[in-house]
Amino acid sequence: MRRGFLILGFGMMAAIASYYCIYLAGTTGPRALLQSRQPELVWLKQEFKLSDGEFERLSKLHEAYLPQCRERCRLIRQMNDRLGQLLATTSDLTPAIENALTERAKMRSECQTAMLKHFFEVSRAMPPEQGRRYLSWVQEQTCLREQMMNHDDVSRTDTYSRVGN
Amino acid sequence: MKAEARIEQDAGLSALLRECKITVTLPPRFQERVWRQIARQEDEPSTLVALWLTCARWVDARLRRPGLAVSYVAILLVIGASAGWAQAQQERLRVSTQMSQRYVQSVDPYQAAR
Repeated sequence: MRRGFLILGFGMMAAIASYYCIYLAGTTGPRALLQSRQPELVWLKQEFKLSDGEFERLSKLHEAYLPQCRERCRLIRQMNDRLGQLLATTSDLTPAIENALTERAKMRSECQTAMLKHFFEVSRAMPPEQGRRYLSWVQEQTCLREQMMNHDDVSRTDTYSRVGN
Repeated sequence: MKAEARIEQDAGLSALLRECKITVTLPPRFQERVWRQIARQEDEPSTLVALWLTCARWVDARLRRPGLAVSYVAILLVIGASAGWAQAQQERLRVSTQMSQRYVQSVDPYQAAR
């Protein structure tokens, strides 16, 4: 009976060993990516199939862009806080609130312009085909694509509720 | 008083027991049969153990055939490798999604502010 159990155990061990071998081999890339200094940029390199030279140019552009982006983040936070304070002290639309909203909209526009400029620069650092793919991807992922309320759904709900009544 | 009454009762009971005579005779080899039954129950395995032994014998008989043993190991190898590959795919997708979000958050202040 011992021989049968030895084969049974060997089969189980073989299954576990093959699972780990394939898993480790399959996740070599992601593990290396997570251990790199700037994993998001390394991901970009892999995703858009960039050469080392292109990656270096892209990294420089990214590093030059980050301080400006951080500064804009600080200003956005400041504006949000100011608007929050104004809204907490009044129950009506005051000129100060209107002014804060205008400033915020202006900042959003400036931010989107700077972002778009950076995206164009990055796309130019890539091979043309990948550059186009990158541009369409960032357009979908960032605030360049404004999320809108779906009025079609709202009007349909209204119609249903009217019919129901 | 109570103790004296009890002694008297016990003495009565003892007398009755002395008078009593057992007339029923035990069947032949009664004692031997009892011991044999006890021994049989001790030797007999429980249902679970019996089931386990049956399974073990069945597995042993099957895996003694080289063809079946090789097939069994090969099937387990393939199952393990497939599970590992599927898990690795999932992990790759998870890291890829996480990194793409991280990149977007690093360049879009409105994503980072959320």
